[in-house]
Amino acid sequence: MRTLVADLHIHTCLSPCASLRMSPRAIVAAARACGLDLIAVTDHNTAGMVEEVARAGRAAGLRILPGMELETREEVHLLAYFDDAATCRDFAAEIYALLPDRPNDPRSFGDQVVVDADETIVYVEPKLLLSALRLSLEEAAARIAALGGLAVPAHVDRSPYGLVTQLGFVPKGLRFPLVEVDGASRPAECGPGAVLWSSDAHTPEEIGSRVTAFRMNGATIDEIRRAALGLDGRSAAVRRRPRREGEAG
Amino acid sequence: MTLRDIVQRLALEVVVDGGGLDREVSGGFSGDLLSNVLAAARPGNLWITIQRHVNVVGVAQVAGLSGVLLAGGEAPAPAVVAKAEEMGIPILLAPDAAFELAGRLHRVLLPEET
Repeated sequence: MRTLVADLHIHTCLSPCASLRMSPRAIVAAARACGLDLIAVTDHNTAGMVEEVARAGRAAGLRILPGMELETREEVHLLAYFDDAATCRDFAAEIYALLPDRPNDPRSFGDQVVVDADETIVYVEPKLLLSALRLSLEEAAARIAALGGLAVPAHVDRSPYGLVTQLGFVPKGLRFPLVEVDGASRPAECGPGAVLWSSDAHTPEEIGSRVTAFRMNGATIDEIRRAALGLDGRSAAVRRRPRREGEAG
Repeated sequence: MTLRDIVQRLALEVVVDGGGLDREVSGGFSGDLLSNVLAAARPGNLWITIQRHVNVVGVAQVAGLSGVLLAGGEAPAPAVVAKAEEMGIPILLAPDAAFELAGRLHRVLLPEET
């Protein structure tokens, strides 16, 4: 068992709201610079950058968890994590079909580009990714679970797009062992469980500004779930910033 | 009726002029789910919302709305104001709740139905 310092909510240049500087190279360099062991790529309603960032991560010895940040019908943001990039990619294809066929207006919302390792633009996403899916929160959570993934409601206490601020309650039958919060604690509406802190970085400078230290046996979905539940000595503890080498504490 | 007429008759605060106060207002739309506004608001509508997020400006632009009327009195963040200025989207503000504003706007825009 070891401690993995993780920032599990990072956008890339494919998210319209994120900086064009969020290339695979820049993301991995920033994560390495602040001593992160694990990051997740979570673009809005797409996984189009997951594999390129994972490649850059492998070259630098940084583990990348494939993910997405879904926007459900209720305009609730839900993070979805998977063990392997192929499952994430297949799920992203399902999600794309549920995304309204509305073109992005880059001036209004920002650019949506896939870039390669050399930061060359290889694809421009035409559909607006910042749209609510034709998929409810319950449907999304069920589908993620069926694919062996982990669903984590994003910034539940933030308005808009947070589960608690948007709905005021967690729909009956849904249980999330891990919820991401902006504040210090898990809102009572979410029931028992752990909290996730992450940067929700839209620029390289924001990466690692808020992190969660997982004590677990490797960076798998199952281990993260067990750490959230506090099983067998595993744990998830929030930190404002990872400790750098030589720092006290 | 222009946005300027509505600003005067409803005594609204103009947060962002956006060079759009002389636009004709085709009607009103009230709602806080952005996807609903994108799907159902009509071009030229004045949009009443409690939302304050920067995406409100993008939605107003894409939906071709005449402006955004922020209900509940809280001023938008500087980033939202800057985006609205850049995009030329008028942002109006009033302390009243959305229900009150919609009622007053309805009386002004559609007096024969009131």
